[in-house]
Amino acid sequence: MSGAARFHKGVKISERHGAGEWKTEKLALAALMPLGLWVLSSVFTLTGAGYAGVMAWFGSWLNAGLAIVTALVFFGFATLAWKVIIEDYIHKPGTSRVLMAVLNVVCLLLAAASVFFIVRLALGSAPLPAGLGF
Amino acid sequence: MTSVSNNPADTDKTGDLSAQVVMQPNGRPRPLSPHLQTWRWHVTMTASILFRITIGAASVAAIILVGWLAALAFGPDAYAGVLAFAASPFGLFIGFGLTVVLFSFLLNGARHLINDLGQGLTLKPANLMSNIAVWGPIPLAVLFWVLLFATGRVSL
Repeated sequence: MSGAARFHKGVKISERHGAGEWKTEKLALAALMPLGLWVLSSVFTLTGAGYAGVMAWFGSWLNAGLAIVTALVFFGFATLAWKVIIEDYIHKPGTSRVLMAVLNVVCLLLAAASVFFIVRLALGSAPLPAGLGF
Repeated sequence: MTSVSNNPADTDKTGDLSAQVVMQPNGRPRPLSPHLQTWRWHVTMTASILFRITIGAASVAAIILVGWLAALAFGPDAYAGVLAFAASPFGLFIGFGLTVVLFSFLLNGARHLINDLGQGLTLKPANLMSNIAVWGPIPLAVLFWVLLFATGRVSL
């Protein structure tokens, strides 16, 4: 839905490379399967661990690193998955374009916020907002 | 697209094919796909629709998790508030729902990936995988919470 469709000899150009986004989405979903199992075991570990227990868990760079990877892959996947849903159900080009822009901004912000918080937790930074340095 | 009727009787009288055929941009006709109400219900349809719903629910779950990270980053006092809410009946209900969503994402995602590889598309495996993806999350989430209670991680 981005811009006017272009054609080559009566065949839509995107028919030649349209599977790229689909493949990316599937690879992200495949990566989320083991990461999801890791999230499941982490939820089990961290339930009832309390503030100190959770902070100690984030102190391990393996945990923090996997959490960052999970957040980035999930929000990347969510962007593509919601894009497909918008393409399927929203047929007004203007509305569709606005929703895609909102979707991209929201997913980007959530991914950035996740990384920001996880890095602070891994470094054991002082609680916000005092820890921001002002 | 002119008409969207899927009823063949609509076309018999006039010979008009617009109800059964849609013209592609390249000028070739393509049969118009019948929509949901035309098909007899099948569990594979439920699994497919549930995966979209699961992705929506997982997005909400991800936002809740970012809120959880934020509470941690804002220090022990903010986190104590989150824990107090999580221990309330509504908090436990939300927590159970989140685990259902996670199991649903794993089972239905695995089903979708297997089908995307061109595997398990015949009737028996497609039905089996769809049934597992649709019904599996509930008993698995119950089992997960039984283990949480049994190991003393959660108590009422």
